[in-house]
Amino acid sequence: MFEYLKEIWPTLWPTLAAIGVILAFVPFLGLYMTFIERKLAAYVQDRLGPNRVGPFGLFHAIADAIKLFLKEQTIPAHVYKLLYFIAPTFSLMTAMFALVVMPFGPVPTEYSSGFRYIVAPGIDIGILMMIAISSLSAYGIILGGWASNNKYSLYGAIRSCAQFISYEIPLGLSIIGIIAAAGSLNIEQIVAAQGGPFWNWNMFWQPVGLLVFFTSALAETNRLPFDLPECEQELVGGFHTEYGGIKFVLFFLAEYTHVITVSFLTSLLFFGGWHFPGLTGPVDSSLGGMLLRTFVLVFKVGMVVSFIMLLRWALPRFRFDQLMGLAWKGLIPLGLVNLLCVAVVLTFDLPKHLLSFTAIFIFVGSLISARQLQFTINRPRSAGRPSIAQTTSEVTI
Amino acid sequence: MNSLITYMAMNRLAASLPDFFFVAQVLPDPKTISAAQPTVVGTWNLWMLAPIVFGAIGYMLIQHGVVKSKPATGSGIIAILAAVILAIGFTPNTLESWMLMSFCAVATAGGVSFLVAREPVYAALGFATAVLSTCGILFMQSALFVAAATMIVYAGATIIIFLFVLMFAQHTDLRAYDIQLTNPLLAGAIGAVLLTTITMCVTGEKAFASNQVDATRPYSQASLPAELRSEKAEEFYQKTTPSARLVPGTTAGLGRALYTDYLIAVELAGTVLLVATIGALALAQRTTEEHA
Repeated sequence: MFEYLKEIWPTLWPTLAAIGVILAFVPFLGLYMTFIERKLAAYVQDRLGPNRVGPFGLFHAIADAIKLFLKEQTIPAHVYKLLYFIAPTFSLMTAMFALVVMPFGPVPTEYSSGFRYIVAPGIDIGILMMIAISSLSAYGIILGGWASNNKYSLYGAIRSCAQFISYEIPLGLSIIGIIAAAGSLNIEQIVAAQGGPFWNWNMFWQPVGLLVFFTSALAETNRLPFDLPECEQELVGGFHTEYGGIKFVLFFLAEYTHVITVSFLTSLLFFGGWHFPGLTGPVDSSLGGMLLRTFVLVFKVGMVVSFIMLLRWALPRFRFDQLMGLAWKGLIPLGLVNLLCVAVVLTFDLPKHLLSFTAIFIFVGSLISARQLQFTINRPRSAGRPSIAQTTSEVTI
Repeated sequence: MNSLITYMAMNRLAASLPDFFFVAQVLPDPKTISAAQPTVVGTWNLWMLAPIVFGAIGYMLIQHGVVKSKPATGSGIIAILAAVILAIGFTPNTLESWMLMSFCAVATAGGVSFLVAREPVYAALGFATAVLSTCGILFMQSALFVAAATMIVYAGATIIIFLFVLMFAQHTDLRAYDIQLTNPLLAGAIGAVLLTTITMCVTGEKAFASNQVDATRPYSQASLPAELRSEKAEEFYQKTTPSARLVPGTTAGLGRALYTDYLIAVELAGTVLLVATIGALALAQRTTEEHA
């Protein structure tokens, strides 16, 4: 056994080190993302935000964590014990497990020995693996809601079921265009295909794909405006009503891990990954280049995270029928159209930046829909238009 | 029985199983396998029937004993344990095979809990466990795409829809037919026959190494050495870039095989799914009178 370990050690330690980095940084990031979110919220609402513990309130997150960890572990009498305990751990496990194939720094497409910024490099199906694992993350919420044996929690769980199943389809559709262009499912290859000048980044020639991907990925994170499984005004706390202390922390951490995953994926797939004007081409192994590229990637991720956090204060929560309508009538047709356009461009070898003009269609479409919305809001309720009560009654949840 | 187990355990310790049991099967490195000379993985012998027979007997005894008598159940469990130990005796003693065994054990446990769970939600979770462990086995066999697809389609979508429906369901008392099978003898016999067939196919003389090319198909032949290519394969070989002639086993190779050699099958399957979707829409559509 020892001999065997010694034999595989050169390939084992980079993997273990990468796992260590993820295990160390993700909870830390999750912790400090709560702080950043509260600060951002404070700026949006013209408040000061947390500013009591430590300089600029920096230790506030740690104080919060200590409070949550030391809370009494209350177990409601009516829950299904086994699943009640499995649910939060499963939730966090799937969220962390999805990071296995995600590069958190520059990864060359050919591997040599030494540390690399990914746990499992060269996985042939990278992005598909990620989607497969994050499709399991619904289980945590569903089991939590069901095991709580509480009507509000169950409603949260059922909503989350429907939401996950619906939004997985546009999520998958939106990345097929990118996969077809890069010719690989491997995330490193997809990033490498975006090298060269910055207008080679996928966001510049697949804006529709970006829109569909980002919207449906945001829906999978269960954050506002898609947080129907836990919306406070209707369902108390939704699926985590019965959870307190460290069990709640696990759910919460899973949500923030999802945000991190989504931000990384968006940066890697659409914003060119570790490429930056002046910093393109294949990854070299020099320390400076590695650090600079890591910084570029993390900077992009930070931008996406801040955008997600600001969205929270920009958009109100959807009604359930609007949520379903957005997925089935909005995003899936858009994703299909995008796929068709990419297929045409790739098949006939047209210049791929022809697709950039789809951005204009998005712009015009959003203008028209905003105008439509304004009309609908301002128009008095008449007999011709179904009232809100009527439309909601069609949906059973 | 006991002596046989001890005998096998001793043999495992000595890492030298007798020839009539099992010759430790060491597959050569996938890269060195030439497609022209298929590797024979024939390790089949009649002794492999023993664990299957023991398992079948154990299953029947348990099924019979749960309602009738405790000794029958006990001996059934012993027989199943014996089958498991015998089966372990037939597997090579490597890390991979132990991982494979544990995945199989979890999958079996999931399947059993799917069958015996009293609560429908637990049954669905048992199903999910079985599916996920199967995905683990597929991952171990480097069938990455199939594993991910299984995970997305079954664990990620189908079982979640089951759970979605089950959550609305009220818990009712179990009927007799929920608790016991009506015909354990038939079920055990069918299971034994199926297992025997699978074992013979996997370990028989003509079993294919997992990475072998299906050389009867013209486009798959393009990855064979020049003297083995047919005319059509040669034509395809000339037309394509090296990346398009990937070794089957990678996802790109799988995609190429599906969209060249098996194109009609894929298109037909797609058509069937489309028809099914249209049918579902037609069934779900409410008439206008009901709607108003």
